[in-house]
This record gives sequence, structure tokens and C-alpha cells, in this order.
Amino acid sequence: MKTSKKLLALLPALALVAASCGGSDSSSEGSTDTAASSDSAAPAETNAPEEVDQTQAGDLTFHMITHSDDGPFWSVLKRGADAAAADLGVTLVWKPGVNDAQVMVQDIEAAIAEGSDGIAASLPDPDALVGPLQAAVAAGVPVITLNSGSNDYQAIGALTHVGQSEVIAGNGAGQRFNDAGATKILCGQQEQGNVALTERCEGLAETFSGEVVIEFMGLDADTTEQQNTINAALAADPDIDGFMGVGPVITLSGLRAAQDLGRDLTIGGFDLTPELIGEIEAGNIAFTVDQQQYLQGYMPVLLLFLNVTNQNTLGGGLPILTGPGFVTPDNAAQILALSEVGTR
Amino acid sequence: MGPSPRTGASLFLRSLRSTSLPFGGPVSEQDTPTDAPSAVVTTSAIDASDSLAPAADERLLYRSIFQRLFIRPEVGAIIGIVGIWTFFWAVSETFGTVGQTFGWLDTASTVGIMAVAVSMLMIGGEFDLSSGAMTGAMGMLIIYLVKETGELGGRGFPLVIAIPISLLIALGIGYVNGLVVERTGQPSFIITLGTFFALIGLKLGLAKRFVGQIQIGRTDEAADFDFFRLIFAAEWERNGHELEVRDALYIGCFAAGFAILALAFSELWFKRREDMQPAGLVMFFVGVGLGVGGLLGLHATDGTAANAALVAVMAIGGFVGLFGWATWRYEPSVDHGALSLDSQMRRRLGLGMAAMVLSFIVAIAIDSSSTNQILFPFTTQGVRVILYLLLAGIGIGLIAMASQAALSVNAATKFAVTAVFALAIGIVALTVFVDSSDTKFRGSLFGVVLAAAVTVLIWAVLTFRFEERRTGSARADRLGTRLLALGSVLLFVGVAFRMLFITAEELAAGVPPAKTSVRLLWFILFTIAMMWVLARTRFGSWTFAVGGNKEAARQVGVPAGRTKTQLFMLVSVAAWFVGLLVAFRINSIQANSGDGQEFIFIIAAVVGGTLLTGGYGTAFGGAIGACILSIPAIGISSARWNTDWRFLIVGVILLLAVVSNKFLRNKAEGIRR
Repeated sequence: MKTSKKLLALLPALALVAASCGGSDSSSEGSTDTAASSDSAAPAETNAPEEVDQTQAGDLTFHMITHSDDGPFWSVLKRGADAAAADLGVTLVWKPGVNDAQVMVQDIEAAIAEGSDGIAASLPDPDALVGPLQAAVAAGVPVITLNSGSNDYQAIGALTHVGQSEVIAGNGAGQRFNDAGATKILCGQQEQGNVALTERCEGLAETFSGEVVIEFMGLDADTTEQQNTINAALAADPDIDGFMGVGPVITLSGLRAAQDLGRDLTIGGFDLTPELIGEIEAGNIAFTVDQQQYLQGYMPVLLLFLNVTNQNTLGGGLPILTGPGFVTPDNAAQILALSEVGTR
Repeated sequence: MGPSPRTGASLFLRSLRSTSLPFGGPVSEQDTPTDAPSAVVTTSAIDASDSLAPAADERLLYRSIFQRLFIRPEVGAIIGIVGIWTFFWAVSETFGTVGQTFGWLDTASTVGIMAVAVSMLMIGGEFDLSSGAMTGAMGMLIIYLVKETGELGGRGFPLVIAIPISLLIALGIGYVNGLVVERTGQPSFIITLGTFFALIGLKLGLAKRFVGQIQIGRTDEAADFDFFRLIFAAEWERNGHELEVRDALYIGCFAAGFAILALAFSELWFKRREDMQPAGLVMFFVGVGLGVGGLLGLHATDGTAANAALVAVMAIGGFVGLFGWATWRYEPSVDHGALSLDSQMRRRLGLGMAAMVLSFIVAIAIDSSSTNQILFPFTTQGVRVILYLLLAGIGIGLIAMASQAALSVNAATKFAVTAVFALAIGIVALTVFVDSSDTKFRGSLFGVVLAAAVTVLIWAVLTFRFEERRTGSARADRLGTRLLALGSVLLFVGVAFRMLFITAEELAAGVPPAKTSVRLLWFILFTIAMMWVLARTRFGSWTFAVGGNKEAARQVGVPAGRTKTQLFMLVSVAAWFVGLLVAFRINSIQANSGDGQEFIFIIAAVVGGTLLTGGYGTAFGGAIGACILSIPAIGISSARWNTDWRFLIVGVILLLAVVSNKFLRNKAEGIRR
């Protein structure tokens, strides 16, 4: 009885092994195939075939786990990821973005358990997430970090990090404010305790030659309050002649506050929305720092696919920087058209 | 659980039994029936007594005007907003300016409309956690409906069609909320949480599906945008509206307002004579003449000394006029008794005056400009202020306690102690005058404190000379409350003049631009409307009833389910309106607009005095609560403090508000009993 049951159990496994080996000329199945993993990676190719086997793409499932999925920034990123999945013919599972490390850890562990072929994750809270991602790597699942986590991706053993160094972006912004001749900048944040946003302001302070005041100015959920808080700050300090918003919504609030007070500020922003680009075109806003978050969604899926199917890595162990790109009055018009379709 | 004696339901039931309150507004007992039919039982006995020999009904408890004002549920909220506004006014240069005042009023407007609606729902005993997300959803819906059709388009409707459609949808969502809560009997907290998540997902999903992105933009693509923009987002730029006579107008309104308020308080406090004294009338008109003359003089002349002299003339005119009015109308007091201060009173007065003098010395002696840090985070400046406030507070407190005790001794003692109280306040004024180098403090604070001292002194003189009314009188109450209302309106009009208009000198001096919008007007109108609904309509009474005890209300015939559903629909309509206002203001709505705001609305309602358990609260409280919450945001930024402390301050405010509201409610019940 027991032996026949065991045989019965082996049958589907053997069938799956046979199926997964189908189509390849390789003779090295024995060393890599295990019965347990049904969606396993293709066996290691010692003699490279002429082309990547397309039928295997359909079996691939990647998981993308991030800490947010709303707002103008994240929706474009998700659109990039979805586009990559569609272009490559893989399945992308996007876990609802929640800014809660607990939830992200659970999602990562669930992805490993489901037999994911690759995990792309952001690291808003590195201490909590490094462990589970190391476990993923140990389980043979390739990991790429995106958006936040440029300091920790190597510890995880991730293939690379796709993102923008917030500090470098801030540095670039600082240079631009220097060129514009500003002396005191108010760097307004729309969230408290967000490391990335603080790094942007600190990067700005590194290269800017004048004074930088870094403050939380109200949530994006209530733009009225944001605008009035910035208004109060500007009214109380007549020395401020520059405003840096570390998000598109707060940048526009800053612009409106400055206009209400009749103050002529140099205004810089981060990330894009059509309205923001329109203001750049009109000359009211000097520039915005573009992270090209579309690439932050597209590239991880593409790189995971190439790694899984072709054992490729990109970046030489260094992060792949998608920014800072700058949108200025010179290129605003072209970018506007793309932003309105939601790909920039 | 049985109804506690003073919940909304029991008060409602009590009011049904007594015929003296025709509309049964449970918490508005202080609104004496100004329009009560003459067949009313309890007050007619007193009515008749005004013209005959006073045959007062000793079964009725007499409550003085101050007690009646104090038991109003809005008192806590008013004290709160005065306190917090004064605090930020003191610590920031720019907070008190018209521009920043318009700023926090603007922030409070959209939150306030929702807070008032949510207050009403909470009085009715329910919560709506989807209210925040609904504001964003409604805004998005309207923009989606009016966006031009096309690849990224919406429906291209004109606003005149889109607005009613979205209103219907909002009513529908509110109705569903109410229906589900009623039918399932589950706590509204859970049901509306479900609506909340549904709305969030719907907003995100629909936006992406139909419009392709999560920020829906361009309300102004609608055809009739300009017309509706006037209604929903018209703006008023102060610097563009110059009014030469503004100062005369607003000071005149203030003076008239305070004068009428003084008359109102006199009418409500003092006992009427049977025969009026014409000599008093003469004095009254002399006083009025002096006041008007002083006002005209202020308008004609300039210069601080001249202004101060003319203000003194107006004050003297006010005192003379008030004394004349009182001589004409009120019964003089005959038996003053002998001055008798017991040892406790003497001790308190002595210590109190000592503390005041000490505070004066402290203010003078310690250097006010030094910013050396003695003890983190206190600088010399800070220690000075704290010491001063402590000493002055102790002094005033002790003397106030003594005067409270003196009230029940005899008239002579009362007068003496109250005069000492006035003196103490005068010392504060003196300190401010002598020491403050900051013009802001010197000017406005000195004026306010001096006026307070003079008011207390005048009151002491009047109460010494005239007899306090110890019985109720419907006629006096009628006249008095109407004068109170008139005086308050005049004060409000005076403030409005000052804030909306600018004079040529101010413009030349470079006052920063100040902008307000019609949203503030909508907020005020909505609050007044809801106050009226709660106090004067049947629906308002039903709201209190179902919030206090739903089953008891049902037993007496209140349609509980329908009332609650209507309250949910009210909240949805308010959310729709706020969504409209936001969409018109910034031309685009983000998918996450409004998410998380529902807790701010609930906090605003609680800070304003509404109970979480239902059955008690006011709409006005909700509005004031919204203002109290928006003042720190602007105030901290104005004071250039670290804005990270803002949520800490909101939390502390909430705790203080809850504790003090409870304390005030207990005191009020003590008086009411």
C-alpha cells in the first residue's frame, strides 16, 4: 500500500520534470532538476543556445513588493512594471503597497512560499526587510531592490538596486539653486519620518551654498492645510527666497502660497505631474527632479527576466541610477505629453 | 443600559412633559421661550408679575445670566480657542496678522464643514469613517464628469449637470451607509470602515481605468466653469479693497457692540424698577453723546496722544451712559451692609496682591532680551515669562477666589473685593505697558487688559449701586437676549470690516497680501444652518433623542432608523460639498485626497464638546473644534518652531479638551440641578 502511494506521488513529479526539460537540447538535466520546484528556473546552460526559450517565459512569475502604490509617483512606477511584464510575457504579481514593514515581510515570505521566480522590493525599513530578502536569496530566488535601499542591497545579496540616490538628486538640485542665486531655501516635506525625503533635503543642503530649513509642511491628503502652512512659514520669514518641495503636490502648494503672498521665489520640485510640468513650461517653477520612476518599475522586471532566463546581471554590482533627470523649461513641453499619458 | 438622567433622550422626554419649551431643544434651556404662547404655564406667573407687585414663583430656580451662559455646551470650545489663539499670538510675530488669520480660517473651512456634519452624526450616536475618503471621491467624480472626452477623458458634461449627478451619488452612498447600519445592527464604525476601503479602492481603480492616471485634473475644462467658480471658489484679495472710513466704521461697531452688550448684561442682571427715573435718561444721552463725539474725533485726528485721549473720552461716555441707563431703569440697592472680610478672605487678598506686586517686579527686573539658556529648553527670556505667568496667575486666582466668596456676604464687601480684583488686573496692564518693548504687546495687549480692568471696576460700581434680580423675568430675558445677539453681531461686523478692508496708510506701509475666499462664507452659513437645525427643528430633537437612547426614542415615536439614515446622508452631502470646494480650488484631485481626514473630523467634533457616546454636543462646537485644530498647524509654522511637533500638540489639545469638557459639563450639571 505504502509503496504504491509513493509511486503515485512520484508520477506527477516525473511528469513535471519531463515537461520542464522539454524543448532543450541540454544534457545536464539531472544535476539541477528537483521534483519539488515546478516553476523552477531553466537548467544551467553550459553550451549557450542561439536564443532564449520563449515558452519558459509564460511560466515565470515575479513579485513586486513596495511600500506604496498611490500618488502620481507610484502609479507611473507600476505602469512601468506592468508594461515590462506585458512586453516580456511574464506574470507580475503586484502586492498592494502598504507602508508597513510587517506587511511587507509577510508578502515577501508568501512570495517565497508560492515559489516566486524573482522578487523586486523597495526597502523603506531596511532593518526589517533585509532578513526576509536574504532568506529569499538563500532559497534561490533572485532579488532586486528598487526605489529605496541603495545602502542595503549588497548585504541582501541582491543582483542590483534600481533607483535614484536621493542624496545625489538633492545635490543636483542644490547646484541648480546655486545657479539661480538663492540664499535661503525652505525644504518642505509632505511626510514625517520618511528617510528618502529627508535625504533629498540633506543632499540639497550639502551642495547649496546658503541656508536650508527642513520642515514637515502638511500631508498631501489636505492640500489646503499644506498651502496655508507654507504660507505661514514664508510670511514669518522674509529671508526665504527659495522653496524645494520633495514631492509634486507639495511643490505646487508652495507655488500657490508664494503667489498668494506675492513673493518671487525660486521653486524646485521632485517628481512629475502634468500640472507641475505645465508650471515649469510657464516659467513659474524653475525645475523638477525626475526620478524616471517608470524605469524603476520596468528595469527590475526586465533584469529579473534576463537573470532567470539568461543568467545576466547588469550594473557590475553597483546600483543602476534612474535619476536625477531634470525637467526644465527647455524640455518641459515634450515631457508634458508623456506625463499626461502617465508614463513619465 | 438605562438612560442616565441628563442624556439627550431624557431631556427630550422631560421637555415633552413640560410645556414651556415648544421645540424641546434639550441643551438650549438657556433659550428662554421668546415666542412661547401666552398660555404657557410656568412663565405666565412671572409675566404678570412684571406689571404688578412681584409675586415670584419660588419653585423656579433663578439662574443669573453668567450661569446660564456658562452651562452652554459651547463654553469649553470657546475657552479653548481663545486660549490657543492667544498662545500662538504671543509666540509669533505674524500669527495675529490678517493674512495668517485668513490662512487658518481657510484651512478650517473645509475641515469645519465636515466636522459640523460629523458632529451631528455623532450626536445621533454614529460614526462615519468613510467621510474623509468620500470628499476626495466626490471631487474626483465631478472632475471626471466634466473632463473633456478623449483618450484620457471623462464624460464632458457641463457642471450644471455634473453637480446634481454627483449630489445624487453622494446621497446614495450616504443612504447605503445608513441602510446597512440599520438593517444589520452592526456598529457604524465597522460598516463605514468597509465603505472607506471600498471608496479608496474604487477611487484608485476607476481613476486609472477611465482616465489612465491617478491625478484627475482640470476642473476648468468644464464649459460653465467661470460661473460656478464664482459660487464655489471666488476669492477676495484684501489689498485690492481700500476703504477710507474703515477705522471709524470698525471702531464704531466695536464701541456700539460693547455698549449694547453692557446694556444686555445689565438688563439680564439687575432688577427693574416699577417707575422709571427720567433723570437717568438724560445722563444716558449725555454718555452716548460723549461716546459718539469721541468716535468722530478719532476719525478726524491722528497721533497716539490724541487717540488715547479720545478713547478715554469714549470710555467715560460709556460709563456715564451705562450709569444713566441703570439709574433710569433699575432698582437702586438700599442695604449695603458693612464691610466684613473674614480671615480667609483677608489672607487671600493679601497673598494675591503680594503675588501681583512680585510679578511686576519679576517682569521689570529680569532681562527680557537675554536668550542665554539657563536650563534646557528655557532661556532667561522664557524663565521670565514663566515666572511672571505663574505669579500673576496665582495672584489673580487667589483674588478671584476671594471675590467669589465675597459675592455671598454683602454688597459692601463685594464691592471692595471686586475693586481689588480690578486693581490686580490693572497691575497686569501696568506691567505690560511699562515693560514690553515689543509694540505688538504694548499696543493690543495693554488695551485689552486695561479694558478688562476698567470693565470689572465699572461692574463693581454698578452692582454696588443697583439691586440684582433674584427672580426670572421673561420680558427682561427677551430684551436682554436680543440685545446680546445684536451686540455680538455688531462685534462680528466690526471684525469683518477690519479684516476685509484696508486703509491707505496700511497699504503704503506695505502690509502683506491677505486673501480669503467664499469657502469661509459657506462654512459660516453651514454652521449657522446646522445650529438652527439642532436647536429649532424637530429633526434636531430627534437627533439628540436617537443619540441618547435609541430604544427609548423609538418608544416615544421618533423614527430612529430614518433619522440616522438621514444623518448619514447629511454627512455624505457635506463631503460632496467639500469635494466640490476642493476641486474648484486647486483644479485637480489626487486619488488619495481626503484619506485619513475622517479622524481629524472626529477629533474636531470631540474637541468641540461632542460626546463619543452620542446624545450631547453642538454644531458650533464642531466648527470651533476645526478651528482649534488648524490653528497649531499655521501657528507653529508662523512661530518658526519645528513643525514635527505639530501632531504632538494636536494630541495634547485633544486630551486637554476632553478633560476640560468633562469638567465643564459637570459644573454645568451642578448649576442646572
